[in-house]
Amino acid sequence: MRLVTAGWMRTSAVAWLLCALFAVQAQAAEDGITDHDILIGMSAPFKGTSANLGRELYRGAMACFLDVNAAGGVHGRLLNLRAYDDGYQPQRTVTNTLQLLQTDQAFLLFGYVGTDAVERTLPILQKLQSALLFFPLTGAEAQRRPPYGALAFNLRASYRQETAGLVDHLVAVGHERIAVFYQADAYGRSGWVGIQDGLKKHGLHIVGEATYARGARYSDTFDRQVTILAAAHPDAIISIGAHAATAGFIRAARRVGLNVLIANISFNSSSSMLALLKASSIEDGRDYTKALINTMVVPDINNVELRAVREYRALIDRYNPQPPFEQATPGEPTERYSSIGLEGFLDARLLVEILQRLGANPTRAGLAAAAASIHGLDLGAGFTASFLQGRNQASDMVYYNSTVGGRFQMIDDWGQFAIHGAK
Amino acid sequence: MKTVKLFRGSLFGIYLLFGLIAVSTSALCIYTVNKQLSHEYAVNSVTISHAIANASQDVLLTRDVSSLQALLDQYHEIQGVSYLYVTDEHGDFIAHTFIPEVPAEIFSEHGKRLEAVERNLTGIGEVIEVGSPIVEGLAGSVHVGMDESMVALKIRSAVGKQVYLISILFILSIAVSFWLLNRATTPLHRLADYARQLAGLQPKALTEEETVALLGRNDEAGELARLYRHLANSQSGVQP
Repeated sequence: MRLVTAGWMRTSAVAWLLCALFAVQAQAAEDGITDHDILIGMSAPFKGTSANLGRELYRGAMACFLDVNAAGGVHGRLLNLRAYDDGYQPQRTVTNTLQLLQTDQAFLLFGYVGTDAVERTLPILQKLQSALLFFPLTGAEAQRRPPYGALAFNLRASYRQETAGLVDHLVAVGHERIAVFYQADAYGRSGWVGIQDGLKKHGLHIVGEATYARGARYSDTFDRQVTILAAAHPDAIISIGAHAATAGFIRAARRVGLNVLIANISFNSSSSMLALLKASSIEDGRDYTKALINTMVVPDINNVELRAVREYRALIDRYNPQPPFEQATPGEPTERYSSIGLEGFLDARLLVEILQRLGANPTRAGLAAAAASIHGLDLGAGFTASFLQGRNQASDMVYYNSTVGGRFQMIDDWGQFAIHGAK
Repeated sequence: MKTVKLFRGSLFGIYLLFGLIAVSTSALCIYTVNKQLSHEYAVNSVTISHAIANASQDVLLTRDVSSLQALLDQYHEIQGVSYLYVTDEHGDFIAHTFIPEVPAEIFSEHGKRLEAVERNLTGIGEVIEVGSPIVEGLAGSVHVGMDESMVALKIRSAVGKQVYLISILFILSIAVSFWLLNRATTPLHRLADYARQLAGLQPKALTEEETVALLGRNDEAGELARLYRHLANSQSGVQP
């Protein structure tokens, strides 16, 4: 008896062909994936007062993506970063997100900027249960804890870590009267809470606080905020702001003789802030760059001993990526390398690694597992990236810099800021 | 148009009445619109306040204060919402939308006033503020300030439209009353002209057609005209 007939073989062959066809169709049906590229969606401010954040993050990420694409992409697919401008307005972020997910059908979201923007995006991701958000430029808690923690992956340390570290260092050198200048929104509140909690640990409290409106410009007046905070007689002020407003506040404070230490966190683009202050220092004949601290979540861009910094600078020089929108605030200083740009570059490096691990047939369903497989990855930035035990933050590194001769340098000795005879 | 002296007083009375109607209607309209919109704003404030209070329960218990701030920021975008703030159970301000600081008047109350209260705040203006407890006050309270200038603006707009309509009606009423009065007084003028003509004071006051038309009227003017003619004929010995 012939067990395998010709008819049976024909039927089997047709079945196999159909299975293969379905498999190909299923793969092709994955949003944002084609045979040639992977569509990555981004919403960030490319115009307006916080445009430098979107521009620099985009340029840093593109330096990496262009290099990867030049080498053939990830598993033969080019990385296609599609960015929309939200002007640092959360409602526009919502519109952009819907455009990216429902119309453009991006495979994943990347490099969103701002706490409020992310706060508004997370419920959309929860509802659609489709794409994940990778490496937003915010240290807020919303995307780090339930109910939305599983929808996002972060590279940078949180604002809680930045502010807690700042408070610990300042208190250690005698600064017990700490006031807060912050943006009147979720970003500002996130930093405010971190400072409050940090001070509570030392049995202290915020001695004075003043807010400003999101989108404030360097040319705006901050005299009222300075008056309010000066009345609290602080030893130090921690600013939770964007670079233009922070620079405006510092200038206003120095003009009336409020010369206390002013510390900023990483969302404040230190290089953009310094550029504004240096220009005003020349105009006004006084140095506004003194007694400033800025936390960073990436290493110093001048630390070329680090492989990641060297690569970032080399690839920026090679490709010189241009932001997708024209600069809307002409006259604002721009810089070739920046800490935000380096953060974008490291974000992109880590994303490429995740996509590599996702394999030749990438699916959204496999993204979280691919990301979670990152343990002890050396990005060449002086720290290793790990998503351990369900934690969706890869780095805890916070760097503390202060101004020396008009430039930010890593703080070696906090004793230089000691007051009241503190050790 | 020549007004009959007999009607001048009545005409003034009519205009006065129209004016009184217009003014009283406008006043009633202002009062009603003011009351309704103010009530609507107060209700909106309470609704928003309750909504945030309900939403805040989950956010405060399961999430971060910055998420609560994001919630306030979203509500702050609603037209007419002047400010929002949340105090914890100790009366400490844990989230708010004030720039550059919490006004002293509000700060001193520590979120204890939950009833509707009208405030006039420097730099903010007049507001109606209402508060709602979070978890029956165990987790603090949320407060919403509604901009009363928005109410005033809406009232001015609504009242302006009403007064505009009433003014048009008033002007139309005067025009119509003038026209009607003119129609009513024309036969009287003709009658007076006819009387003067019969008395020989103004021999050609009326044309032949006007005289025939006057005498042919079946109202009081026609009757009087015929009586004048009868009297005039009696005096001159002509048989009527």
